Amino acid sequence: MTAVMALEGVAFRYPGAAGEALSGVSLGVAAGEIVALAGDAGAGTSTLLLVATGLAPRLVGGTLTGTRRMPGRCGIVFSRPWTQLTGLCSTVGDEVAFGPASLGLAREPVLASAQRAMERLGITHLAMRDPAHLSGGELQRVVVASVLALEPDLLALDDPAAELDPAGADALYGLLPALAAGGTAVLVATPDLERAARVATRVVVLAGGHVVADGPAHLLEGTRVAAIARAAGCPPPYPPDVPSLLRRVGP
Amino acid sequence: MIGYLAGRSPLHRAHPYTTLALAAAVLLVAFALTRPLEVWLLVAVAAVLAASGGGEVLRSSVRAALLLSLPIWALLFVLYGLLGAEPRLALGVVSLSAPGMARALVLGGRITAIVLGFLTALGTTSPHRLVEAMTASGVPFGRTFLLASTLTVLPRMRDRARQILEAQQCRGLRIGGSPLARLGALGPLALPLILGALAEVDEQVLALDARGAGGGARRTALEAPPDSGPQRLVRWALLVAVIVAYGWKFWRMRG
Amino acid sequence: MSGGEVRVEDVRYAYGELEALRGVSLSIPAGETVALLGPNGAGKTTLTRLMVALLRPAAGRVTVGDWDVARKRPDEMAQRLGYVFQHADQQLFARSVREDVSFGPRHLSRSEASVAPVLEELGLTPVAEAHPYDVPPPVRKLVALAGVLAMEPRVLVLDEPTAGLDTQQQERVIGALRRRAAAGVTVLVVSHDLGFVAELVERVVVLRDGHLAADRPARELLYDARALAALELQPPATVEIGQALRLPGAPIRAAEVAAALRGTRWKRSE
Repeated sequence: MTAVMALEGVAFRYPGAAGEALSGVSLGVAAGEIVALAGDAGAGTSTLLLVATGLAPRLVGGTLTGTRRMPGRCGIVFSRPWTQLTGLCSTVGDEVAFGPASLGLAREPVLASAQRAMERLGITHLAMRDPAHLSGGELQRVVVASVLALEPDLLALDDPAAELDPAGADALYGLLPALAAGGTAVLVATPDLERAARVATRVVVLAGGHVVADGPAHLLEGTRVAAIARAAGCPPPYPPDVPSLLRRVGP
Repeated sequence: MIGYLAGRSPLHRAHPYTTLALAAAVLLVAFALTRPLEVWLLVAVAAVLAASGGGEVLRSSVRAALLLSLPIWALLFVLYGLLGAEPRLALGVVSLSAPGMARALVLGGRITAIVLGFLTALGTTSPHRLVEAMTASGVPFGRTFLLASTLTVLPRMRDRARQILEAQQCRGLRIGGSPLARLGALGPLALPLILGALAEVDEQVLALDARGAGGGARRTALEAPPDSGPQRLVRWALLVAVIVAYGWKFWRMRG
Repeated sequence: MSGGEVRVEDVRYAYGELEALRGVSLSIPAGETVALLGPNGAGKTTLTRLMVALLRPAAGRVTVGDWDVARKRPDEMAQRLGYVFQHADQQLFARSVREDVSFGPRHLSRSEASVAPVLEELGLTPVAEAHPYDVPPPVRKLVALAGVLAMEPRVLVLDEPTAGLDTQQQERVIGALRRRAAAGVTVLVVSHDLGFVAELVERVVVLRDGHLAADRPARELLYDARALAALELQPPATVEIGQALRLPGAPIRAAEVAAALRGTRWKRSE
């Protein structure tokens, strides 16, 4: 699998910061993969997303060493839906079309891209609604659609369900496998290890700016279920979710 | 009170450049007029403009204009009317300066006309339509975004301020009932309001950039507000009116 | 602890045409821990805002201890009830974390001695002098909680206290709330996270469409699969495990499930 985005030996320091936010990070994400980025606060997961999508150091400042290869287009979704809206569009349709419109394409292709993105997210029924009056869950789907309208090769998500209720969160994470199947590489940083475990094809764990683990979903040892298994004497690797725990329970 | 109010009046439906041109014309002409009668005629014109924006726009513009103007009128009255030069008029127990009152009326009227004009324009121009108009004219996104954000900043700040005041009350801060006391409570809020807004802008800039906002290409306007021959004519006519007003002002100064 | 009982008597509230609460009655004895659940729009936030006097009921009565909330201002309610809003950013306003946490005790004319221990308890001592907007959003949530805990209220009302927090941070919050509950503080949490709810509360109240749809002991409701389905709630992992393996005692807390599983023969992972 060729990587859609590859970081090799990347170190990043924020402007004016004493220490490095990331050091010696090597990470590749291929089309169709859903990579979950786990780590405690300060581990560098958000920074890694900004570096992977090229927003750091370009917009954020700071110094980057190492190599970043990302020949295609990136999209990023943050956790607060309302701060990602342009605030200038009176309908959801316009909001989703904002990205393609920025490319200067003609009106027809712009509206077609927007329509496709809304269909993928199942929000065509919201096309004429005012974004200001939507619920958090609906709004976050509008945001994802707006990002997808540009057909990015890599979709980065930073704790995308933080502000959503469980139904909204389930729906959002439930979208990711379909997106990956469509060829997008998905990189999601989240403290919601339970939901990440359900959809991730691979897990990368960060601590103090370093990658400390990179492998299958059972590396998500921070889940509640894993903690229960550990406390109940289960030998590692600890099952990250209920189905895998039930499979490990003997007669 | 201050900000866009949805509606279907002729001003709402006009091209945003036309509405803004009207407000700008009121501003410029206000400074060209030097006599109380002329200035207050302009105030009447501005009021008619506000009325053509619909009942809600009229009410809110007039209310806000009065709120802003009354203190200034009072100040001007004292400075020029009471303390002004000869000749003086006697009005019952009070003696007012004639030229002083004229000056106060001119200055006060100017401010009122200008404020009315701009509030009307603000009330009838949706930020969205303005952005689309500017995009269609080829203005780069950065500038349109800046302008549109300025237009929406007040309601957002107001919401935020209210939330922070509630949180402070829930932690024991007693706020006096009167609106003035509430305004006083906002003082120490200025910094957190701005910082909070900046933190949001930080994230918004990243998000929008990732959606191509910063790109060099000329954005496609999806719904450019319709412009028309008559409207363009009106804008040119306004420009001519402003030039004539200044011409007249300088001609009068010479003669 | 007197003054810690919360009573809601047939309360109604509407936002214009929209009826948010249609005659809700609820009685929480002092020292109980209760979760308030329900879909968005069910009226949970409206109910909590009524308790802290940010809203006045259109009909009915809300009392906290012997206080009728309709006769009180929010700053007066703050003497008895601590309210943690859902979004940290709407309640942080000081120049440093420590200053923000001290705001409550200072304005209630109470000793600021509670500040340092609360900072320590929530792991905020390393960032005590930092500006609230300089710390990551999850940490800001902890600062908001600290600010309310430092007021040492008799009643705690928290709106989504664990949203966006990692496992370690959630543990800290659970620990802090358990300690307060053990000391007799009445705790009411609005939360969508049933795992968190299972760790903390004894009783669950569910609101739907402005009505009380359920009011039952936590252990009972969480193991009632049909009721959960009718309320559109998903059982937490602990209950899923407990039901699948028919663990005795209806365990809902992680520690209870782990204890029940100790001695299990574990199979190797594939």
